[in-house]
Amino acid sequence: MIIETKNLSKIVRLGEDSLTILSSVSLTINKGESIAIVGASGSGKSTLLGLLAGLDSATSGNVRLKDIDLTTLDEDGRAQLRKKWVSFVFQSFQLLPRLTALENVMLPLELRGDKSAKQSALAMLERVGLGHRLGHIPTKLSGGEQQRVALARAFVTEPEILFADEPTGNLDSKTGEHIIDLLFELNQEKNSTLVLVTHDKVLASRCEKKIQIEAGKLV
Amino acid sequence: MNYLKMPLKFLWRDARGGELTLLVLALVIAVASSTTISLFADRLQRTMNVQAAEFLAADLAISSSSLLPQAWLDQAVKFQLKQAKTIEFASVVINDEELLLTGAKAVSRQYPLRGYLKTRSSVEQQERLQYSGPLKGETWVDQRVLSALNLQLGEALMLGDKTLRITRVLSYEPDKKTNFYSFSPRVMFNEADLAATHILQPGSRVSYVFQFSGDAQQLAGFKAWVKPLLGASQRIMDLHEDRPELGSALTRAERYLGLSSIIVVLIAGVAIVMSSRRYSERHFNMTAILRCLGSQQNEILWLYLSQFLILGIVACALGSLLGWFTQQALFGLLKDLLPAKVAEPSLVAIMFGFLTGLAILIGFALPPLLRLKNVSPLRVLRRELKPLASSAWLVYGLALTLTALLIARYTQDLRLMLAIIGGGLVVTLISACVLYFLLIQLRRILPMLSIGWRVGLQSVLINPVVSVTQILAFSITLLAMILSFSVRDDLLADWHTQLPDNAPNYFAINIFPDQLLSLETQLQQQGIPTSTFHPIVRGRLVQINQVDVNNIVTKNSTGERATQRDLSLSWGAVLPEDNKTISGQWGQADKGLVSIEHKLAESLKVKLGDTLTFAIGNKQVNAVVSHIRSVQWDTMQPNFYMVFSAKTLQDFPVSYMGSFYISEKNKVFLNAMVKQFPSVTLLEVSAMLKQFRMILTQLSMAINYLLYFALLAGFTVLFAAVYSTLDNRIYEGALMRALGASRALLRKSHGLEFSFIGWVSGVVAVLMSEVLVYLLYQYVLNLEHQIHWMIWLWLPLVSAICVMLVGSWGVRATVGQPPMRVLREG
Repeated sequence: MIIETKNLSKIVRLGEDSLTILSSVSLTINKGESIAIVGASGSGKSTLLGLLAGLDSATSGNVRLKDIDLTTLDEDGRAQLRKKWVSFVFQSFQLLPRLTALENVMLPLELRGDKSAKQSALAMLERVGLGHRLGHIPTKLSGGEQQRVALARAFVTEPEILFADEPTGNLDSKTGEHIIDLLFELNQEKNSTLVLVTHDKVLASRCEKKIQIEAGKLV
Repeated sequence: MNYLKMPLKFLWRDARGGELTLLVLALVIAVASSTTISLFADRLQRTMNVQAAEFLAADLAISSSSLLPQAWLDQAVKFQLKQAKTIEFASVVINDEELLLTGAKAVSRQYPLRGYLKTRSSVEQQERLQYSGPLKGETWVDQRVLSALNLQLGEALMLGDKTLRITRVLSYEPDKKTNFYSFSPRVMFNEADLAATHILQPGSRVSYVFQFSGDAQQLAGFKAWVKPLLGASQRIMDLHEDRPELGSALTRAERYLGLSSIIVVLIAGVAIVMSSRRYSERHFNMTAILRCLGSQQNEILWLYLSQFLILGIVACALGSLLGWFTQQALFGLLKDLLPAKVAEPSLVAIMFGFLTGLAILIGFALPPLLRLKNVSPLRVLRRELKPLASSAWLVYGLALTLTALLIARYTQDLRLMLAIIGGGLVVTLISACVLYFLLIQLRRILPMLSIGWRVGLQSVLINPVVSVTQILAFSITLLAMILSFSVRDDLLADWHTQLPDNAPNYFAINIFPDQLLSLETQLQQQGIPTSTFHPIVRGRLVQINQVDVNNIVTKNSTGERATQRDLSLSWGAVLPEDNKTISGQWGQADKGLVSIEHKLAESLKVKLGDTLTFAIGNKQVNAVVSHIRSVQWDTMQPNFYMVFSAKTLQDFPVSYMGSFYISEKNKVFLNAMVKQFPSVTLLEVSAMLKQFRMILTQLSMAINYLLYFALLAGFTVLFAAVYSTLDNRIYEGALMRALGASRALLRKSHGLEFSFIGWVSGVVAVLMSEVLVYLLYQYVLNLEHQIHWMIWLWLPLVSAICVMLVGSWGVRATVGQPPMRVLREG
């Protein structure tokens, strides 16, 4: 087991009222599994992803990541864990606009103080088929290419867990398919645990396990 | 992460992307102007001090009625100061039964330490500069001595028991002052001959002046050491204490320069706040990604702080260099006005500009940067999440402290600094509240407007807090510029009225009543305008309300100085023009009343109704204080501490004094006058006047050039403010275009929006300036305040046009770019 949540809830205050986004979610994810969190827009799936990855803190309940209780850590403590074990792929790519493709991929390695960042990043970009686009900044790349850079950045650190938030949401279906193929290939190569948020049933069906979420509750 | 490589990489990328241009520009301008002003003021001041020191013939002098203790002179040696000495006393010189009361002056070998004497070998010949006094056995005398005693150069003159040979005619001595001895014609001789004259006996009335020169710091050290030891009859003289007319011009100029510097720094500060806020907002996303990838808060803080530090050091170095060149250019431009030898630039002044730059960067840019530390990694999923703003105390506290420190440095007055900061804050807060209220009210008329106006004004009215901030930023910038301009204009005008081109250059004293009419008539016939001739009786203030003044005066006060010597007492129903009533009344009263100058009154704690007792010769006179007035001492017109009602002093022997302007071509008449009225003493102040005027011209020029910095800084703010909201505007513009708005409509609405902001800022700025200028004039610069009506008209107009032009230029991309691209990259 690599992730475990118990009675995880997220409630936000809106003036005098409060809005429950997640309510008592308990789940376990095992090492190497691929899991799809599916649900309609506004069902709370991105919030759950944020909590599982330690990007956000819960109102009640707890999350254990590799047996460490995230709710006992402050934001910097959670950042340490992310640096060590976690990677992300986002719907809107989230590349740094002023850095080249190569520099974007090198970034997480540099943050870890990895001396061979450049070689690893070069190899990874070759692997995702962008060896000829190393010096380009994100705005000069197509959507598909940007997401491939994001994949390279996510896998270059050989993460224990990869969180992906609607990774094909901003791409046309053909490009989306290529990206998903690549995502699953890399996931297998690196033996990472994959937690994927999507409302795309086809994509969800490629995962080993599926978690359905509706109005903040698991169903 | 690599703590140097990564910040450098990001810095380089941001710099290339133009992200930092405005920030660097603002910083370079601030540092360049601080360095220029600091260097320029420092060099000018040291140059002027040297020039002004020539008036003292030294950097520092101590006058005394007796010799100074040897320990003091030894101390001066320890401070590595050069020393000289003059001994002045009145002495009658005799030649063939002709008698003449002269002002004798024995000078030591080193005299003068600063400046020079001017002598001639005969009346016709050119003057020669002399850097030391007469040799032993020789004397230099005024032309009047030769005329009055029928002597020639080369002949001998008896001074007491000593015979001295007259070798030159003395035409100028730098330290000649308007004291009793200087009014009489001068006989200057070497100190080595003094003992042989046998004139000085115990109890003789003598004025010793001990002169010192040397390094400024050493002088200050010596001054601080000796000041507490001074006795009642001893007084320190230096530029500020002994030459009030020069001192006040210099003080004002120094304050003005300091003020300009603060203004530029403030304007640049506004630009820095705005550009660093934009920088911070544009880095929210990047920071969120970095946080998501595992960067800790401290790493984020270091990443940005180190970039700003590197940037700051580079920009400050660039600014210092630019400042150095600018002040060199400034001195180059003023070359003809300045003395040949100008003081060298000092490292301290350069460092001041550099450090000011770094301080501004930290003070104004740190709060927006600190905000980046708080960016949540969750922003990668939810773009709308914004980090908490830094605490308002931190944001404004830092900038305020910095500004306060700068103001304190220039004004050296805590109360004044608090007044400026407090006044500024109150005015800004009130303006902010009023503006906010007005903008909220204006929203009501929005629906009634045409689409162009509506779209334009909506951007301003929809978020009043942002608009108020932006309008205030413009207003403060404009305000700073108005302050600079109007203070400069009034300062120059004030200097000009103080010293018009025909300011009196001669004083005539010792005019006896029977000579007065004839002298006045002759001057009128020659077309020479004169001041009123004032009657004078010499007397000393001895008692206040029957209490001896020595028990009242404090050491080294104006009061002490005025009671240790004879004053020129005058009378009349009409006071000199520049005198202003502070309290009481003055008029045609008959007898027994006196009007006193207010600073002296303050120093002596004299109030209306007090009785003053004066010793005149061997008699005493009482007068009741019925009027207290201010006197402008620096007008070159005769002025008095004490003016009596008409008949109070009628029983005493009187002489008259007056001042007039004699042009070069009229100087011939002067010789005739000297012959006709031999007892009248003429005191020439041309040289001093010329020097004084030159200094004012130099300062005026410098002030003009320094204004350009304020202008430049103002434009940076303009750009920074427009750019700070550019991203939103471009996005909204693209959206509008996508919805079918024409380019013309967008241009019109932008034009209207910026004109509105510009106009309102202009109005607020004028309003604020009237309040602040009033306070400033009243309490700092001692100038008359008048409301500048024209500014009310043209400033809002000019401001509207400038903001409109720069704003429209800034958002032209909104109109020009294909909307799809903007929206996709948005």
